[in-house]
Amino acid sequence: MEGLEFSGFVGIISLLVILLPLLSFLLILAGQKGRGADLALINISLTFILSVYLFSLLWNKQPFHYQIPWFLIGGIEFKAGILLNNLTVLMMILVSGISVLVHIYSRIYMKGDPNIHRYWAYLGLFCFSMLGLVISDNLLLIYLFWELVGFSSFLLIGFWFTRHAASQAAQKAFIMNRIGDIGFLLGIMIIFSQFQTLDISALFGDNGLMKESRISEGLWISGSRQIPEVWLSIAGIAFFMGAMAKSAQFPLHTWLPDAMEGPTSVSSLIHAATMVAAGVFLIARVYPVFDPFVLNIMVCIGAFTAFMAATIALTQNDIKRILAYSTISQLGFMVMALGIGAYSESIFHLATHAFFKCLLFLAAGSVIHQLHHYRDKLGLDFDCQDIRIMGGLRKGMPIAFIGMCLASAALIGLPLSSGYLSKDAILITAFEWAETRNGIFKILPYLLVLTSWLTAFYISRLVFKVFLAQPKLISREQTEQIKDAPNQMSYVLIILAFFCSFIAFSYNPASFESSWLWNGFSSASIQKVNIYHWLVPLILNIGSLGLLFTTYKIYVKSDGISIPDRNLLYRFSKREWYLNEIYSYLFTVPVEKFSRACYWFDRNFIDALVLKSASLVGVLSGITYWFDRTLVDGLVNATGTLAKWIGRFSRNFQTGKLQHYLITMLLVVLSFFILTYFI
Amino acid sequence: MNAEQLIFYFFAALVLISALMVVTMQNLVRSIFLFFVTLFSLAALYVFALADFIAVTQVVIYVGGVLVLMLFAFMLSNKELLNSLEPIKRTFKLNHLAGIFICLSFLFILVSLIVQIDFSGLDWIKSAAPILEGDNTIHAIGMHSMTRYLLPFEVLSVFLMMALIGAAHLARKGKKI
Amino acid sequence: MIPLSHFLIISACLFCIGLYAVLTKKNAIQILIGIEFMINAAVLNFVAFGRYDKENGGGQLFALFAIVLAAAGVAVALAIILNVYKHFKTIDPSKIDKLKD
Repeated sequence: MEGLEFSGFVGIISLLVILLPLLSFLLILAGQKGRGADLALINISLTFILSVYLFSLLWNKQPFHYQIPWFLIGGIEFKAGILLNNLTVLMMILVSGISVLVHIYSRIYMKGDPNIHRYWAYLGLFCFSMLGLVISDNLLLIYLFWELVGFSSFLLIGFWFTRHAASQAAQKAFIMNRIGDIGFLLGIMIIFSQFQTLDISALFGDNGLMKESRISEGLWISGSRQIPEVWLSIAGIAFFMGAMAKSAQFPLHTWLPDAMEGPTSVSSLIHAATMVAAGVFLIARVYPVFDPFVLNIMVCIGAFTAFMAATIALTQNDIKRILAYSTISQLGFMVMALGIGAYSESIFHLATHAFFKCLLFLAAGSVIHQLHHYRDKLGLDFDCQDIRIMGGLRKGMPIAFIGMCLASAALIGLPLSSGYLSKDAILITAFEWAETRNGIFKILPYLLVLTSWLTAFYISRLVFKVFLAQPKLISREQTEQIKDAPNQMSYVLIILAFFCSFIAFSYNPASFESSWLWNGFSSASIQKVNIYHWLVPLILNIGSLGLLFTTYKIYVKSDGISIPDRNLLYRFSKREWYLNEIYSYLFTVPVEKFSRACYWFDRNFIDALVLKSASLVGVLSGITYWFDRTLVDGLVNATGTLAKWIGRFSRNFQTGKLQHYLITMLLVVLSFFILTYFI
Repeated sequence: MNAEQLIFYFFAALVLISALMVVTMQNLVRSIFLFFVTLFSLAALYVFALADFIAVTQVVIYVGGVLVLMLFAFMLSNKELLNSLEPIKRTFKLNHLAGIFICLSFLFILVSLIVQIDFSGLDWIKSAAPILEGDNTIHAIGMHSMTRYLLPFEVLSVFLMMALIGAAHLARKGKKI
Repeated sequence: MIPLSHFLIISACLFCIGLYAVLTKKNAIQILIGIEFMINAAVLNFVAFGRYDKENGGGQLFALFAIVLAAAGVAVALAIILNVYKHFKTIDPSKIDKLKD
């Protein structure tokens, strides 16, 4: 299977991979409402099978690249095409695999929703755009799918748009993502003006234009073109900004917790496993464009986001919100890893995180689902997502409990879990990196360690409170009536749980270097040259286990800790660092004031102008009316009146009396005489 | 001025005065009788123009025929006027003014024309041999009407008959036109 | 020998008197009389000029024709007047104004 035939074959399969979800979207929109669930599941399953096939064909092989001419601008030909390398096929299998699981899960979870067909259609659209984003070989196409991903995310967050909070959250997510999109677009423009192409393999390939461009004397030179060096940094920052918005990094992260208003299955698929990884994916795709300055910014922002999100997660009470902040925190890890150059570690963590975070969300979803049913059955009224009212669910929901425990272990990075491999890989690399730096960068790895411990605390708090603690709202007997979710959902949890263990990624539970996935991205073989490789995991796990024990003591054995509400740190964390308030104060309020001012200006000046011109036109038309009435009509009337007068005058001669006629006649004769003889 | 001229001007004055009285008279019966006077004196003027046969014909036809006819017509149409012969109130009307103006201007034109022309200087009058007193005009008329003017004479007779039949037809009772 | 112009002047005066009657009188019979005056004025002219046409006798003969025509005209006119009277119950021409629009 070599040559043209092969490339055509792979191209068709790749196209099928992205077009099948689109097909389900279109079919459902076209009216296949009743069969939406089956249609979506069949299509996504086929996509998954094809993805697996492509993965087996192309993993660790020569990257596959296939292009067709797209359009021509001036002398520059744009090409659209498919680029399949290790990163792509991994993302493909990840996206489609998790999509399949979430599809199966959603069949039960979303059962009974009146607009369920819309849900399936949106999921199809999302899968299409995400897969398209992944396999595109061209920055413009990526941007296109990038926008589509944002749009489908908007649709899914606002799926229950009748809820005010959901529609608000959808708008917020969309607007935040727009900010990032502007950055992405700017980056594309800079790259295009410098290199005259947007082809990724031509730009960022092994011998790509990016590698061959150099910086000398403050100029960024590529071939014959040169622009000031600062544009390189700006391009890097611009691309990073796009990634920041999609991957919810610090200044632009506030949309993600709000996005939890969408269905839990959606949160799990989009806002935990796949879409938020798109930012990381983008950074990985355009990695060569980042210069050291931008990479340093990336490190700082990643580390800070990880830490900040972890501190916020400590005090949240909404089960999904905790997981959302946890996601932000983990994305911070990935971004930071990319910033320090740990490309393969970052992607590795992306893959493992996708599975365990998906599992966390789905397990939480099943808890919520069952509680919801229970609540409706008993006619009670409580918030199904509030962990304060939960407790003691372990007996009734063993599968959710075990799944949650495994996923948490992976999140914390306990040995034998997948998280242990990837997270420790990042931390070890961070320590190695910090050795060569100084100043603030020395501290960053320790910050990450601290963040990991915080992670251990908040996730164990979540698990213990939900499954082990004394039930708050209802008696233990009643709690045990809440059973595990239906089988289909449970199977999904079990499958995902498998991927949270080390087995799926490495045969050696203690060494990330032996992971096939890590090796797929890292070319150099690394020897364990320093002590970090065993010291960091050791310290980390000892700390985590200690914290786990403490948490167990606090939340299971006793009745939790009572932190005074006035505690400054607590409030700071609880209110999510007051970031929403700050944004509101910094942006929303000024914009509102500005809009008000504009409104006032519009009201008082522009409208007045319009009204004035209207009245001016009124006066003008009045004058015209007068003119028309008096002069034009007057002329006409005068003609008419003249004719009337003449008629009336000559009518006087038509008296009907013979003698009058005679007189007239003779007068005429007389006048002839006079004219003839006397003049 | 000899007797002939005297008589001529007398009759001329009679013609004009009686004619004026005819048209100004309010009483119709009187004006008709005055009309008779006018016609009679006109016949006298014809005699002075050496047309005695015309004068006789004038008397016979006008005085004998037309006048009687008019009286009958008047009496047939204006029974009320006959009964009450009170004069109609004289009103001065624009009509009259216009009529008078037109008549006077025509008179002025005609008279000024007649005065200006020197008739005795005209060629055909100079060269013509005028009818002299004592000529037999009746003989000449008879000869001419049967020779030179035979066609107009015959046409006239037919026309006269048509007029009479037409008048009789119009005056017939019982059938409206 | 009476001069020709005297006849003509008398005839002009008579014509104008007839014209006046035609233009102003309120009675159809008087109008008819006016017409007769005008015809007679014409006849007088014929006769006056006929003096100088001994050879052809045109003046006197046409005077004769004119008198006959006038008589026929009077007969017809009176018949019309009678009919008009029957129809309109008046012979005042100023009251018969059916020609008016």
